[in-house]
Amino acid sequence: MFMARSKLYIEEHYPSPLKHTWNEFQKSHVSLTGLWLLCIFLVIVIFAPGLAPFDPNKQQVDILLLPPSWDSSGSIQYLFGTDSLGRDLLSRVIYGSRVTLGISILLVLISMLIGLTLGAFAGMGHGLRSSILNHFLDSIMVIPTLLIAIIIVAILGTGLWNCMLAITLALIPRFIHITRNMVRAECNKEYVTAARLDGAGRVRILFDSILPNMIENLVVQGTFALSAAILDISALGFLSLGASATTPELGSMLSDGMELAYVAPWSIALPGCAILLMLVAINLVGDGLRSSLRHRLQH
Amino acid sequence: MLLLDIKNLTVEIDTSTGWVKALDKVSLHLKKGEISALVGESGSGKSLIVRTIVGAIPDRWRITADRMTWKGQDLLSMSAQQRRKIIRNEMSVVFQNANHSLDPTASLGQQLRESVPANQLEEVSFWQRKALRTDIIVKYLHKVGIKDHQQCMRAYPHQVPDDICQKVMLAMALVSKPELLIADDPTMGMEITSKVQILRLLTKLNQTQNLSILFIGHDLSAIANMATHMTVLYSGQTVESGKIGWLHKRPLHPYTKALLDSAPSFRKDLAPKSTLSSLDGTIPTLQHLPIGCRLGPRCPRAQKECVKTPKMRHISSHFYSCHFPLNRGGK
Amino acid sequence: MMSYLLRRLNLLVITAFIVTVASFALVYLFPGDPLINLTGIVPANSEAYAQLQQEYAFDKNLFMQYVHYIQEIYQGNWGLSISSHNSVLDEILLFLPATLELSVYALVLSTVIGIPLGFWAGLRYQRPVDYGILSASLLGYSLPVFWLGLILILFFSLNLGWLPMSGRISLLYDIPHYSGFILLDILHSGLAESQAAMQDAVNHLILPTLSITIVTSSIVIRITRRSVTEVMESDYIKAATARGLSRGQILWRHGLRNTLLPILPQLVLQFTALLTNAMIVEVIFSWPGIGNWLLQAIYQQDFPAIRGGMLAVSAVVIIFTLSMDVLLRLINPLKDRDVHGTI
Ligand SMILES: Nc1ncnc2c1ncn2[C@@H]1O[C@H](COP(=O)(O)OP(=O)(O)OP(=O)(O)O)[C@@H](O)[C@H]1O
Ligand code: SF4
Ligand SMILES: [Mg+2]
Repeated sequence: MFMARSKLYIEEHYPSPLKHTWNEFQKSHVSLTGLWLLCIFLVIVIFAPGLAPFDPNKQQVDILLLPPSWDSSGSIQYLFGTDSLGRDLLSRVIYGSRVTLGISILLVLISMLIGLTLGAFAGMGHGLRSSILNHFLDSIMVIPTLLIAIIIVAILGTGLWNCMLAITLALIPRFIHITRNMVRAECNKEYVTAARLDGAGRVRILFDSILPNMIENLVVQGTFALSAAILDISALGFLSLGASATTPELGSMLSDGMELAYVAPWSIALPGCAILLMLVAINLVGDGLRSSLRHRLQH
Repeated sequence: MLLLDIKNLTVEIDTSTGWVKALDKVSLHLKKGEISALVGESGSGKSLIVRTIVGAIPDRWRITADRMTWKGQDLLSMSAQQRRKIIRNEMSVVFQNANHSLDPTASLGQQLRESVPANQLEEVSFWQRKALRTDIIVKYLHKVGIKDHQQCMRAYPHQVPDDICQKVMLAMALVSKPELLIADDPTMGMEITSKVQILRLLTKLNQTQNLSILFIGHDLSAIANMATHMTVLYSGQTVESGKIGWLHKRPLHPYTKALLDSAPSFRKDLAPKSTLSSLDGTIPTLQHLPIGCRLGPRCPRAQKECVKTPKMRHISSHFYSCHFPLNRGGK
Repeated sequence: MMSYLLRRLNLLVITAFIVTVASFALVYLFPGDPLINLTGIVPANSEAYAQLQQEYAFDKNLFMQYVHYIQEIYQGNWGLSISSHNSVLDEILLFLPATLELSVYALVLSTVIGIPLGFWAGLRYQRPVDYGILSASLLGYSLPVFWLGLILILFFSLNLGWLPMSGRISLLYDIPHYSGFILLDILHSGLAESQAAMQDAVNHLILPTLSITIVTSSIVIRITRRSVTEVMESDYIKAATARGLSRGQILWRHGLRNTLLPILPQLVLQFTALLTNAMIVEVIFSWPGIGNWLLQAIYQQDFPAIRGGMLAVSAVVIIFTLSMDVLLRLINPLKDRDVHGTI
């Protein structure tokens, strides 16, 4: 009887939320372009040694400041030209993208993990402890991450490792803040109350009900954090607080090229373009995700 | 004379699964001085009709109609400016969600003042206008049953309960002295005394000032008391329309009958403790509209022909769209 | 309202506490002797050291040290700079106004440019104008500010030679220090060549301000545009349309306020990002501001200066954010309702 009846109606079919978001995302060509660009950068990050034509630190004294190949005095062998120490710029940009983007992704993942844990704790908890934590976070959030990073670098001393530590520490409060708010918001929704009434424990609720609902949002926030991390790490490199001059990092390459900017403008233009493209790709993906998420929630 | 005449209005909206006809060949008309009711289940598209009439729907939705006229002027082809003028001077709308329809950042008084049309202020000099505006507003606030007008005018929408918002919306609609009032569920969720007061006010305005009203609601007995005409809507299609007495006495469409039967006060012959009759199932979602007559899957009289959309037919001025109408016995 | 003010006050006190504790902790966290890190004075012998210890309550427990530290801060004794031996507070008061001047101009310009453009884009949602503005703002938002500064220098100073590439004003002019805001100082100085000096100072200001403004106004555009599209979709705007109000009336009477109210707090938060950007830009343009100064302190391991600089910048940020918060609350008619942004 029941079977016969249910056949009468066309079954309601909705794509799963993730699929739905992806469908929405796909509709925008611009976002897809961003995703492709990001994929290219990821390939560069992973396969840099195979892609770079030269060792990024190999100095060739006979070809200092060679212009890029499209210039009349350039050479096709050195596609982007060379810098003041005769190092191949293309190889340096490739390795630099690897360092800058690779490290940023790593840092975002680490701080997301830590922030998620602490944020879930702060969001699920009630009493004095979480209230103190919340106040503390609100104060920290006001201070720019780069400033926090600069101070941490000042304490620890300059260098890439300290920089990474500093940026991770500076990113964590954001994730705690975001997670806490999301957990709070989800906790007040009825499905969580229902789960709680069913006798599910806090941890169960967190993993079964709340986290799956937050994933997309976290990805969106992750893209924002990623662009912030890239900007911060290259800014610290540029201010000579981060990666040392030998490490091919895009920011420190910029500050290297600064003195010779007039003679060799390509040596600052190209690494900067790499950062710009990276950020455009990430922001396109982030925007696309965010708007498809909003679209999905509207329907 | 027909004030509002809509024939075969179709509105297509884009959902995540593509374009769907949220309104499918809806017809509706209203004579001057008439109270006409629009009824139907939740989600049948009543509010959508209202929003289409006043043009408060997204531009990208596709609207087609054989006819959609206001006093003989075509609403769809006229310029936005002309249409706005008609809407400002000749008709007023009360939307369903009163508290969403008010600007949250402006006080109720500001919003009320804004809706007093300039032509009502012309006879006084400009420094007296502000006072006159306030006088007019206070008068209408009292009419709709708000006694403490000062507090009401100072308040912001989020500070007052929903029913005050609804009353304020009604006052705003009436203050411009429209010829047609479109009231979309103006008494939704109100307690009974306010409800009666509002319905009485509307009936009185209809009788004394010849105000035409398009009334939308769920309370069939209240509608039977005040309205002269009724249009029944199901899932975006007009199923039946005509004088309320006829519809009541001899519904031709199975859906109308089910709807009337579900309101016990309509059935005087109802045996005590008998079950309420109603249709199986629920109104289909926009994504899964049946083809042909949209009532098909739920209709007790459905047959093969029902997969073709029935044409609108009529017996004198009683319109219906069904292949196998009820109560047609001898004919 | 009262409870709101109390909560803000509470936040202010807690934030101030955290910041001062953090800066006091730096004394111990920085490498080297805490007492030297605190005072910037390198005592000649152990006697002098002991005296210094007593003077700064360093012979007592940490809590007393902190209390004493707060007193010193309050009295304006922020320690001496190790590299220049000047009072840190005096140096900060000399350099901070230059940064604030840059930031204020950039802030004003960013809002003046960003909000109207954001409105324009939002009102033309998904039309060519919107796409144009949106792409431009995406580009601006993705530009690293230091690179942008370099490119601007390369183009406008080195290639075209139109604008100066570093400093605040040409060395030809000797402007007496008055407010620290160079344009005000020139006006105040009443020098004979103040007209020319003004022109020169403005020329120096253009490129740094432009770099910051491009980045910040892109963000302002994005925030505004989103708010506008949300508001224009809302029921009350549709209801106002149905009341027959013209587009202009709707926008002016209902659109503007509803759009701006939720975004003003977000714009205030942008100030911190702007200040950071200003500090980076200073380095490129050799602008004599707090960012440049702080960075020199870091290179020279001048710990009292780093600590002071951090305290000053945090104080500026906190005071600005909190006072704007209170101000916005005062003008907001929805006082007892939270206005939150969405994802
Ligand atoms: N903005 C929108 N986007 C997508 N679908 C919509 C939108 N507005 C209305 N609909 C759909 O149009 C149909 C008609 O809705 P409408 O609000 O007109 O119903 P109603 O008859 O007024 O119901 P109620 O009696 O509850 O007020 C519904 O199925 C609804 O899902
Ligand atoms: S047309 Fe067919 S399905 Fe539709 S109401 Fe009439 S009998 Fe029922
Ligand atoms: Mg409705």
